[in-house]
Amino acid sequence: MSTAKKQMNAPAYAEAAAEEMITSRSFWADARQRFLKNRMAVVSVLMLVLLVLFAIFGHSLAQWSYEEIDWNVLGKVKTEGGPTLANGHYFGVDELGRDLYARVVQGSQTSLLVGFLAGTASVILGSVLGATAGYFGGRTDQIIMGAYTIWLSIPYIIFFVVWQAFFGRSLTQMILVIILVNWTAGLLIVRGQVMMLKNREFVDAARMLGMSDFAIIFKHLMPNILWVIVIYTSIVIPEVIMMESLVSFLGVGIQEPNTSWGALISEGARTMTFGTLWQLAFPAAFFVIAQVSLYYIGDGLRDALDPKDR
Amino acid sequence: MLNYTLRRLFTVVPTLLVLIVFSFYLMRLAPGGPFTSEKPLPPSVMANVLERYGMDEPLHVQLWTYIKNIVFHFDFGPSFSQKDRTVNDVIAQGFPVTLTYGFWSAVFVLACGIPLGIIAALRHNSFWDYSMTGLAIFSQIFPNFVLAPIMVLLFTLSWGLLPGGGWNGGQWEYIIMPAVALGTSYMAGVARLTRGSFLEVMNSPFIRTARAKGLPERTIIIRHALKPALLPTLTYMGPVFVYMITGSVFIDVFFSTGGIGQDFIDGAYSRDYSMLLGLAILYSVLTFTLNLLLDLAYAWIDPKVRSKL
Amino acid sequence: MSLLSVNNLNIRFRTGDGYVHAVNDVSFDIAKGQKLAVVGESGSGKSQIAMSIMGLLANNAEAEGEVLYEGQNLLTLPSAKLNRIRAKDIGIIFQDPMSSLNPYMRIERQLGEVVEQHEGLSRSDARKRVLEVMEAVQIPDAKNRLTAYPHEFSGGMRQRIVIAMALICKPKLILADEPTTALDVTVQAQIMSLLDEIQRELGTAVMLITHDLGVVAGFCEDTLVLYGGRVMEAAPTLDLFDAPGHPYTRGLLRAVPNISDASASLAAIPGSPPNQTRAPVACPFAPRCVDAIPGCHQTLPELTGDRQQRACIRPVEELT
Ligand SMILES: Nc1ncnc2c1ncn2[C@@H]1O[C@H](COP(=O)(O)OP(=O)(O)OP(=O)(O)O)[C@@H](O)[C@H]1O
Ligand code: SF4
Ligand SMILES: [Mg+2]
Repeated sequence: MSTAKKQMNAPAYAEAAAEEMITSRSFWADARQRFLKNRMAVVSVLMLVLLVLFAIFGHSLAQWSYEEIDWNVLGKVKTEGGPTLANGHYFGVDELGRDLYARVVQGSQTSLLVGFLAGTASVILGSVLGATAGYFGGRTDQIIMGAYTIWLSIPYIIFFVVWQAFFGRSLTQMILVIILVNWTAGLLIVRGQVMMLKNREFVDAARMLGMSDFAIIFKHLMPNILWVIVIYTSIVIPEVIMMESLVSFLGVGIQEPNTSWGALISEGARTMTFGTLWQLAFPAAFFVIAQVSLYYIGDGLRDALDPKDR
Repeated sequence: MLNYTLRRLFTVVPTLLVLIVFSFYLMRLAPGGPFTSEKPLPPSVMANVLERYGMDEPLHVQLWTYIKNIVFHFDFGPSFSQKDRTVNDVIAQGFPVTLTYGFWSAVFVLACGIPLGIIAALRHNSFWDYSMTGLAIFSQIFPNFVLAPIMVLLFTLSWGLLPGGGWNGGQWEYIIMPAVALGTSYMAGVARLTRGSFLEVMNSPFIRTARAKGLPERTIIIRHALKPALLPTLTYMGPVFVYMITGSVFIDVFFSTGGIGQDFIDGAYSRDYSMLLGLAILYSVLTFTLNLLLDLAYAWIDPKVRSKL
Repeated sequence: MSLLSVNNLNIRFRTGDGYVHAVNDVSFDIAKGQKLAVVGESGSGKSQIAMSIMGLLANNAEAEGEVLYEGQNLLTLPSAKLNRIRAKDIGIIFQDPMSSLNPYMRIERQLGEVVEQHEGLSRSDARKRVLEVMEAVQIPDAKNRLTAYPHEFSGGMRQRIVIAMALICKPKLILADEPTTALDVTVQAQIMSLLDEIQRELGTAVMLITHDLGVVAGFCEDTLVLYGGRVMEAAPTLDLFDAPGHPYTRGLLRAVPNISDASASLAAIPGSPPNQTRAPVACPFAPRCVDAIPGCHQTLPELTGDRQQRACIRPVEELT
């Protein structure tokens, strides 16, 4: 009788146990509190919000579109193309007489979009693979880990360049290839966590109840390692932005007239010998601000979430 | 150890083969090709060109010929875009350049990173220690493609100290900026890692034993702590080499060194199959070789690993 | 004059939650050739006393009092002078033999560098000495094992190497910190008899830290009983075993079914170890003591007596 009762309660128990570990409200609430106490991290979040707002709404302040050539300054970019309020080119113009402000807005859109979408998607892909490897172990684990090791020993640029060269250079294409290149993101750490968790009682309980592996992984394990995934995402996003910028710099990134921070930095670097320094300074400043903010946000998240450091 | 090296080579071969087959089909099956241009060539000319490059044969035959030529003649085929040059020519000319500054860059990474890390560890929480944390953040924020233009701005355009690009037969002035711009991030990484592992080793029981022996601190550091403290650094160098190869493509392009990175990118633009494939193979072989060397170095330092080889 | 004289030694550690008072007001002497056992449960401060003698306390430690070796206070001695005493005059066998050898160095070098350092021997002379001492600690086939690395030896052999390392300069005092706990019982017995043999031969003084009362009975003429970093009782071993004068010692001995049974456990007394985040103001054993009276919770008992010293406010006759 009493065992029967216990069994009836078991699903509730398994749920509760899984829930209790992390979703225990206090974990995330504590983490939020710790994060908010970290002044650098909070300032960085504000900076990042400003950047995002700039990317979204910046166009409404622009006097020019990002593709339009200002014939008045073309040919005298060095003398008259600098940043000024007078002709509406707040950040000056680029080599072709296009409004740099509008181009930086457009570039910020690209870089941030690629960073967040591709970054998050890669970590999700990597985490799912990591969880699969960790949960099933054995042959599955061997195959995934083998592929992981080999992949990490190949410079990603090879794959990237070959892929981009043959499949065009649209925004979607870019996001897709970055996800493919980064399929290993977070894999190792999630695998380790899952291997650790899969022997806990609540997983056993769930398994005994005949829950499918799929349900166990997604309903019971993933919520408990969400904190790892969050930390890792905050690390991967700046890396992805960097990756996008590098390939755009190399000319195998986003296609003109669309642009990105990396592409703009590349143009600025190419023309700086002519003394048009603003063409390098503005995009580089945006890139650097984004990287600094993301660095401190990642740092703050790590401090707030990682139980090891507490 | 020879045994181990051979075993490793046996895993490299299939990996390379997969890479070749995959890239080969990826390129060939994608729309467009090296001879697709705005004005299509007349069909007869096109057929002629294709025949000349052996591209009229079925794909698997082409692949087989390609692999055969590499294995038996070390011949990576003609370039499709650079008219009179073969891929071998391009490699022979560009690879030494990339390898040269890459080597010096690695020297810079280790020769500056390791001492910096050790100093920071010895002067724990001092000015040195903090400046190193600063350097680590700095290098995260200024990756090579931001750092390189800034360096050119300062050292070439403002102070006129160093040439802003070119190679000139590999004189040292031409090597410095590429090597430093390529290595700075990883130098900071090595420094940070060395600092951490050095601190850890200095707290380990066998260092306590060395102290109990009455050895002077300097002997303890050099004789007992250095080797184990460098093991994590060595492990870290594996991915670093991979990243540096990626970085070298940028350096070749930015500093116009004439290294293979430029040819690789050009190959992508002009869809020069044989160039892309040849250089991809070269890059992969380079990474495998570097990783193998690292593993051997690791085994040389760690007797436990050595006895397992 | 005694070889080593520890006077009013206090050791505390700075930690995130304030101080940990690991050793409190400990005094004892070791004469030339004397064998002193230090016993007490885990955390009672045994190892830290040994560390303070060798000048090896952790960075967050603060030590007060005196550790006099031949008249010099080792706690304040500059490191250059201390280095001349370490290994040469005082050798130490660490609690954890497995990790106290350098895994990246050949055994010959690890032992050889000690005599090279202290006696200025050449490499080849050092090798001879290493071989001698390795044979002395009965490592089979020593000659061919000189170039081996620590991981190529078994636990027992590694412990012999650690002992050899402590002995190689023929020091006047050896601090042996639980030299056998990490080993299985038969090997334990072998190592202890080896240590005994060598000690007799060299006439070295030994401070033996141990959990194992069986070992104490067989090896040491004097015993120091620690609890919560304080000395509870200090007496000749035979007297102590015959007529323990302190409730804690009594509890310990009662927990041992048979003195010659080597694997007795000190943790058999009910209750948990004392909180060391405050320096003791009353008898630290009071919460667990069967003889405790209200006064025990207010006064800090002094160590009194002559041959058999004890720190308890109640007379021996009144104890149960
Ligand atoms: N670096 C340190 N920081 C803080 N506390 C420490 C430190 N080192 C030792 N302690 C504390 O000092 C106390 C005494 O430790 P010690 O190592 O001397 O115990 P022990 O008697 O040797 O025990 P065992 O039998 O387990 O070896 C312990 O409570 C320990 O936690
Ligand atoms: S002083 Fe009191 S509490 Fe302490 S040992 Fe003696 S009787 Fe027990
Ligand atoms: Mg101890």
